[in-house]
Amino acid sequence: MSDFLLNPQEGREPLQASFSDAANPLGLDGIEFIEYATSKPQALGQVLEMMGFRPVARHRSREVLLYRQGGLNVVVNANPVDAKGAGHGSDVPSISAMALRVRDARAAYHYVLERGAWSVPTHAEVMELNIPAIHGAGGSRIYFVDRYKDFSIYDVDFVPIPSVDQHPPATAGIHFFGVVQYIGPERSNDWIAFYEELFGTELIPDEQRFGIMPKGTLLRTPALDPSQRFMLQLIEPEIHVVDADERLQRIGLGVPDVLEAVKALRALGVEFVETQAAHTEQRGAISKTYLGSVVFELVHSEKE
Amino acid sequence: MSPKRASIEAISGFGMDTITLAGPLEAKLEAMKAAGFSQVMLKANDLVGHPGGLGAAVQAVKDSGLRGTGFQVLRDFEGLSGHLHHYKVDIAKSMLEMCAALGCKVLLACSSTSAHASQDLDHIARDLRKLAMLAIPFGIRIAYEGLSWGRTVNEFTTAWDVVCRADCPNLGLGIDSFHIFAAKTSLEEIDYLDPSKIFLVQLADFMWQETKTFEERMATARTFRVFPGEGVHSEQLAELVLKLDALGYEGDYSFEVFNDDYQQMPLPVVAERARRSALWLAEDVMRRSMPLPNQMRLKTLRA
Repeated sequence: MSDFLLNPQEGREPLQASFSDAANPLGLDGIEFIEYATSKPQALGQVLEMMGFRPVARHRSREVLLYRQGGLNVVVNANPVDAKGAGHGSDVPSISAMALRVRDARAAYHYVLERGAWSVPTHAEVMELNIPAIHGAGGSRIYFVDRYKDFSIYDVDFVPIPSVDQHPPATAGIHFFGVVQYIGPERSNDWIAFYEELFGTELIPDEQRFGIMPKGTLLRTPALDPSQRFMLQLIEPEIHVVDADERLQRIGLGVPDVLEAVKALRALGVEFVETQAAHTEQRGAISKTYLGSVVFELVHSEKE
Repeated sequence: MSPKRASIEAISGFGMDTITLAGPLEAKLEAMKAAGFSQVMLKANDLVGHPGGLGAAVQAVKDSGLRGTGFQVLRDFEGLSGHLHHYKVDIAKSMLEMCAALGCKVLLACSSTSAHASQDLDHIARDLRKLAMLAIPFGIRIAYEGLSWGRTVNEFTTAWDVVCRADCPNLGLGIDSFHIFAAKTSLEEIDYLDPSKIFLVQLADFMWQETKTFEERMATARTFRVFPGEGVHSEQLAELVLKLDALGYEGDYSFEVFNDDYQQMPLPVVAERARRSALWLAEDVMRRSMPLPNQMRLKTLRA
C-alpha cells in the first residue's frame, strides 16, 4: 500500500477529483471505526496502547471499549457471543467489522440490500442507536454510520471514561489508510465485483504497486471528502498455501514519515518485522503479529 | 493401477443426482459410493426431509466422503417485482445458506416459468446479478440453466445472453443435455460459450424423438429421463460432451435423471446403470487418459 495514488503528481493544473453521485452512490466518506472481537480485551488493549491508542469510553450496555488516537476509532468488542462468532471458534482476536461513514445510513442500507447485500440483525438496547449492518468477508460486518459530523454515535452509545482526554492526539501523525482482506483462491474477481457493486470502489491498475506489502488487488473507495478515501487490498493465497479462509487480516495506517513513526512506536514497545522479505523503509513497515493475529502495517501517506 | 482403481479414476468427473434414487439420504449416498462415484449433486428436498433434520443431513453428506457437485434448485427467481421479488430473495437466501452448510460451491438456478415474471432480458439479468451478489460472501457460484419449458429463457443460448448481460464473475451457465435435446438447440452454439463460465453440466437422455409441447417436455423431464447411453440421443450426447471437452470445459458432469422406474428399483441396480453410463462416457466417448488431464484437483496458476 502507498498513498502515491491518493496524491498524484500535479500536472499543469491541480488534478480535480470528480465526485458525482454516480461514482459514490452511498455518499461514502471514509471509516468511522474498526471493530475487533476478542475474548481477551485486556491483552488486545495493551497492543492498541502500544500502537498509540488510548481507551476513552465504555459502551453503555455491552462489554465494549472505545480506543482512539487522532481521527482513528477502534472498538474492542469483548461480548462473548461476538468474540466466539467472529473468530469462528479460534481464540485469537479478529477484525469483526468496519463501520463506514455515509451520507444517509438508511438510504445506504437500502441501496446495498437492493443489490444483493445480506442484512445482519442488530441488537440495540433501549435508547441506543440501531446501526444498520450487512455481511462482509469471512463473517465480518459492515456498518453504516451517518452521524459523524455534528455529534457522534459514541455520544449516544458510550460513556466517557472519567478524567481521560477524549481526543488523544495521533502518534507520529497516524491516520487510517486501508484494510487488508484475505480471500480464497481465485476469488479476486468476486470481491472486486462485490465492492464495486455495493460501494462504488474503483480498481487500481496492477502496475501501480508501492509499499512493502504489494501483493494482491487494490481497490479504492470513493469519499465525499477526498482525504477520507481508503484502500481495500484483496490477497489470495499462494498456490502452495492451504489456507483458503477469508477474513479482514490487518489495518493499514498512514504516516507522513515511516521511519519517524517506527521510531516513535518502537519507543512505545512495538516490534517491527525486519527480514529480507519485509523490513522497515521509507515506503512502509509492518509490525510483528501480536496475540496470534493482530498486525499493523504502516504506509507512507502525507495526509494530516 | 488396479482395474477397480482405474474405473474409479475414470468416472471421477461424473456424479449422480440424489433425485434419481429412492429411499433415505444415507442409502442413496451409500449406493453411489459403492458404485464408485466420488461426488453427488444434492437436492434440497433430500436434506430438509431427513428425519434428523438439516443438520443430520449435512453430517451424513460429510460422513459419506462424497464431494458435493452442487446444490439444487432455485426456481422462478428472476423477473419478478415487488413483494414477489422480495419473497424469492428470501427463498434464495435460504438456499444459499443450505448450500454453504453443505460446502457446495455451485447453486443451480433454473429459468423462470412464471407468467408473472418480466420477459425483459435486462430485468432478468439484473435479478440474477443480485442473486450472484448474495452468493459472493459464501464463495458460491450460480449456475443459471434454461429449462426447455422456461417462459422467456428456454434454451442455453438465451441463458448465455442473460449471463453476459449480468456480467458477474460468479454467475455462469448450467447446461442440461435434456433441455438441449428437447428444445432441439443446435450444438454448434456450444462453440460460442466461454468454458470458464460453464459452472455445471448435467447429463440425461430420453427415449422419444420429439417433445414438441412444453407440457410434453415437462412430463418427460420429470418422469422418464434415462442415463446417457440409454436413450435415443446417444450420438448427440457424445457430440455435446466432446464439444464441451474441446472447448476446454474442466468442471463436473452430473447425471440429472428423473425416472419413475428408477424410483422403484433397488438403489445398487440404478447406481450400477449410472456407473455404466459414466464408464461409457469416460472410456468410449471421451477416451480419457490417466490421470485425467482436466480432473486434477490441484491448484493451478491461471494467467
